[in-house]
Amino acid sequence: MSTRPDGPLLAREEQQLVEGLLAGNEDAVRALYARFARPIFTLGLRLLGSAEAAEELTQDVFLAAWRKAARFDPARGRLSTWLMTIAHNLAVDRLRRETGVTRPHLVLVEEVPETEWVDEEEPLIERDAAIRALESLSDAEKRLLARAYFGGLTAREIAESDGIPLGTVKTRLRTALIKVRRANQDKERP
Amino acid sequence: MTCLEVRELLPEHAIGVLGEPDRERIRRHLEWCAGCRKEAGALGQAAATLAFALAPAPVPEGLDERVVARVRRAAGVPGTRRRVRTAAASLIAATVAFASLGWGAVMAGRADRFEVRAEQAERAQHAAIERFQTVLSQVIPSDSVSSSDTYLGQLTPVAAGTGGGFGLQLVSPEILDFVMVIVNGLDDPDRLPLRVWLVNADGRELRGGRIDELDANGGAEVYHEFKTQGLGGFTTVNVVDRAGEVVLTGTIDQSS
Repeated sequence: MSTRPDGPLLAREEQQLVEGLLAGNEDAVRALYARFARPIFTLGLRLLGSAEAAEELTQDVFLAAWRKAARFDPARGRLSTWLMTIAHNLAVDRLRRETGVTRPHLVLVEEVPETEWVDEEEPLIERDAAIRALESLSDAEKRLLARAYFGGLTAREIAESDGIPLGTVKTRLRTALIKVRRANQDKERP
Repeated sequence: MTCLEVRELLPEHAIGVLGEPDRERIRRHLEWCAGCRKEAGALGQAAATLAFALAPAPVPEGLDERVVARVRRAAGVPGTRRRVRTAAASLIAATVAFASLGWGAVMAGRADRFEVRAEQAERAQHAAIERFQTVLSQVIPSDSVSSSDTYLGQLTPVAAGTGGGFGLQLVSPEILDFVMVIVNGLDDPDRLPLRVWLVNADGRELRGGRIDELDANGGAEVYHEFKTQGLGGFTTVNVVDRAGEVVLTGTIDQSS
């Protein structure tokens, strides 16, 4: 099993990888790992706060992906989205489950510090495009999304915190996501 | 749940902050509502963008090997089949391993019908696991399994065939040995009856049962107990059609 080393995956390639994952094919698992382990681990680190928890999350995500692989449909969405959704849901579930764990530290996207580590053996295909897509948002919209996505705050919690109507927060969240979505459409898979 | 109610929650659903009850209600709605499903997909992709925008952190050394090993072990691929010593562990192992039952083969070359086939196979799998649990609880007394050995192996199609399956053996000095084989995704009833053969390194064959019909998902199961013959060394499992052609084959690793 082989995929191109860089560039977005074709739908056919995504399906092949997922089929390989389902069968426990080592090449497929390694190919998926090479592309997605780093952003998954990074997300885990941001949400869970420790390398140990992020590593557990990364393993759990690949195992969950294997369990759910039969349900993956490339016609419904990209593999990267599917995996990151699994990762985010698992991380949020873990935070909710564990007592004594505070809410994840709020990390605004534009404030995320660059690490000193720069040895990118595998290209982070999605990151440049993601940053470009987020540039379509105002600072307030970025902050709102970050509070929900990285802070784990519901619309109701944000509304209560800011003293604004719940409907307004929901509308703003949706508007911001649609803006990102539109920006993403420029980088759809070939 | 109406589309209006779902749409109101979809942004938070995409961001992943909804509680399980709401997520489950939305999941059920999305199963049949294409419009909301499309909206959910679009918003989900947008939300995932946030994760990809993070500055990447270094991944711990060796994590790749741990991930690969864990997935392969769960998938029950050759070389990683598990050997377990208690009925409870057997059941867990079998249940986990069953999740990979024939999926790759079911999916192969069936992209146009992938979703339908996957759903059918998933339902069949759940039913097979329930049947398997029943059989296992009946054949293994809970107080006599401590020294028993249960082994699992995956069956895969030969050549360009379809389907998949699983074989489980109990090889024990205290309990009669047995083999249980469950197949799925076999779509050619003209090849019936199918026979299960267990083969050892010397080429000696033992009958492991016969399959006379397949269910709607091309599935069936067969169970055979060996009253005078131990199964030690009979590690190859072949499912053969009426013409003697091997349909599915696999190896059950009896080594520790």
